[in-house]
Amino acid sequence: MADTRKFNRREMIQKGLSLGLIAGGAVILGKPDFLLAKEKPVGLPDLVAVKNGEPDAMFKKAIELMGGMNQFVKKGQTVVVKPNIGFPRVPEVGATTNPLLIKTIIESCYASGAKRVYVFDNVVSPTSGNARNCYKLSGIEEAAKAARGIVVPIDDFSYREVRIPGGKTLKTADVHSLILDCDVFINAPVLKHHSSAHLSIAMKNLMGIIKNRTEYHLTGLDQCIADFCLYRKPDLNVVDAYRVLMSHGPAGPSNPQSANVQMKKTLLMSKDIVAVDAAATKIFGKEPEDIGYIKIAHAQKTGNMNLKELKIVTFAM
Amino acid sequence: MSWIKIRKVISGIIFILFILLFLGTRQMSVVLSNILLPFQFMPALVRTIAQPEMLFVAGLIFIVLITLIFGRVYCSFLCPLGTLQDLLIAGSRKLGLKPKHSFSKPLNVLRYMLLALTVTAAFFGSLSLVNLLDPYSIAGRIFAHFIQPLSTSAYNLGIAALKPFNIYFYPQQTAFIPLSVLAVTASFILLIFVLAMRRGRLYCNTVCPVGAFLGLISRGSIFRFVLDQKACSECVQCENVCKAGCIDPQNASIDMSRCVGCFNCLAACSKTTISYQRKQGQTDTDAWSPSRRGFVIGCIAAAAAGLLAFNANIRSLLNITSAKANPPVTPPGSVNTTRFTQACTACSLCVSVCPTRVLTPTFTDFGVSGLLQPKMNYEKSYCDYECNACSMVCPTGAITPLSLDEKKLTQIGEAELLKDICVVFVDHYNCGACGEVCPTHAIRFTDKENILYPEIDKQYCIGCGACQLACPTTPRSIVVHAHPIHKKADKYDSPVTPAEQKKPTTPDKDFPF
Repeated sequence: MADTRKFNRREMIQKGLSLGLIAGGAVILGKPDFLLAKEKPVGLPDLVAVKNGEPDAMFKKAIELMGGMNQFVKKGQTVVVKPNIGFPRVPEVGATTNPLLIKTIIESCYASGAKRVYVFDNVVSPTSGNARNCYKLSGIEEAAKAARGIVVPIDDFSYREVRIPGGKTLKTADVHSLILDCDVFINAPVLKHHSSAHLSIAMKNLMGIIKNRTEYHLTGLDQCIADFCLYRKPDLNVVDAYRVLMSHGPAGPSNPQSANVQMKKTLLMSKDIVAVDAAATKIFGKEPEDIGYIKIAHAQKTGNMNLKELKIVTFAM
Repeated sequence: MSWIKIRKVISGIIFILFILLFLGTRQMSVVLSNILLPFQFMPALVRTIAQPEMLFVAGLIFIVLITLIFGRVYCSFLCPLGTLQDLLIAGSRKLGLKPKHSFSKPLNVLRYMLLALTVTAAFFGSLSLVNLLDPYSIAGRIFAHFIQPLSTSAYNLGIAALKPFNIYFYPQQTAFIPLSVLAVTASFILLIFVLAMRRGRLYCNTVCPVGAFLGLISRGSIFRFVLDQKACSECVQCENVCKAGCIDPQNASIDMSRCVGCFNCLAACSKTTISYQRKQGQTDTDAWSPSRRGFVIGCIAAAAAGLLAFNANIRSLLNITSAKANPPVTPPGSVNTTRFTQACTACSLCVSVCPTRVLTPTFTDFGVSGLLQPKMNYEKSYCDYECNACSMVCPTGAITPLSLDEKKLTQIGEAELLKDICVVFVDHYNCGACGEVCPTHAIRFTDKENILYPEIDKQYCIGCGACQLACPTTPRSIVVHAHPIHKKADKYDSPVTPAEQKKPTTPDKDFPF
């Protein structure tokens, strides 16, 4: 009797050790970005801006200048591409991310050996009928499925609460489990006017991966948007500034004829979410210092909004 | 094919179509409501009075005509609640709970009093009794309040089980049914279950106003069931299968006012003593007397109810005028609150098709005169700008059909911004949740030192409630007030001309950084 118990304990320790080793190994092997992040490959840019092309061509050029998709997506990894699908609008309104861009990103992920690529957004006014309309009208559902992306309609049960380390106003957030469980998170927002945040770009787009958005609005939108980035920054931000909604954002009019859209035909790409928002603000024609959440995020050292201090590579097609 | 088989097939098909009407997709509901509901007595009647339309008037005439010719076959062929009861009766027989039916005396006083009260109340502007007792509306509520939430939950559970396999479907929302309304629906389910399983079609012959009214017509129907007293051996086989309990073999009489036209007796009679044939000569006056007494009592009751209803004090006490200080918002197409409450039979079909689930049945929000009628429940949801489903399915004309373009300019209420509690005005934070979701650009923002303050341009507001739902404060800082009479909103024209979109841009090669 005593012997068996002893044997069990020993076995348990052995098992625990080996499990720990496997788990630790999996983290190292599965997420090598964590280790590589410190030692950035020399010569690669902080931010890439491409203009005058179609969304797919601009993305291909930008990712090439960025050092290739292999920098971000490794074989066997699961990826989440998070577009802005917040409103039931056709792409011509400029309220949602360009579907062709999303398709190209997904293709590029699979080309780099991604195991699965998920696409989702927690739409504004998330009733089931509205979510379906958003996914369909934006053209993103069709485009993503054409590239074998897994389009995930949101429901209330897929969120897990996380603590925001150092969050000034936002202490916790209910984050979608796909974001928590994925290996690579690619943020693919659209640049557009926003009635209550001035602009919606990359940081604002992260409100679509959490559930407790009401809290943001209640306790201060700008601070909360900036605070969330203290929890997790996307591994890559791709900003769609192909068609830019200049007023009446974030929804824009339902009729594309009356949408105040400028064809900026620009694409921005960066690992630094603050830098990419600052650059997009410039593209829009505003100054980063005037956008509350960009200023706060810069002060909280989430990223750098001083574009002069960054290595920026531009390319006009 | 025997009559029974024909009945089972027709009523079965109609019942299945009813299930699809309430549980199917929105498109299905729109199509089916226009096929099925003109041939439901109460919707056809109310529509004919409230907002006459060819198909519904024709449906009403059709129902009266077939009753005049064939008796109350409506109750066995067309009525969904009738079919539901038949299923229950069959189930109860299978289980051995009630293997035999037997003749019962008609409860004429109760039956005609309920009919008279219902008619009188409706005449004076309250559909409450219609809402409670109409068989189509009860069937509708059983589907919308119980079966649909169950099926939706089952569907959601089913698709949730597929998620681990990376197969995703859109989840569905469950309608919000207040407890009081659920209790009413549940009581009727209980009543109908117990009556059907114990006493056959007693509901139809005592409580149902449609049954009572059609019974009055079918007394003189051309075709009728006749029991040949000379040939009858009083084997009571027919009595045993008569769900309506209207065959009295001892006196060789069949009460046509209660016969629901199920044709069970024809098949049960081994000697073809019972026949279904054209009326010959005058009906026996004796058979009339007890029913006539009931009818007279019913008429007196009606007159009394009428006097009561006429009394202004009693009306205001019962809230029949529906002149409430803060009336609920009614769906677009209902034109005005009074019209709506006087035409809605509370079948909850609109509740079951509403994609955002903003339509919620109420208990007494519209006063006692509008029991169970639905309202726009802005604490739970909002009205989808791109949807006019409720107006496309409403069979009674309570919600008149609106094209999507008309609906987008129909002002059913008006939002009010309470600046003393709005976070932007109180804390000087950016919020703007209301403006993000406003579909009509009725909420505009003014920039003061990079803080964006909301203002409402009421002429564009259609009262959809999206802002109220999005508002993060408790209580909400932006609320929609109902228009008792709906108005027309102005169409928003963008002050910014999207000129740059049109003109070809000369591609420059400059970046602003």
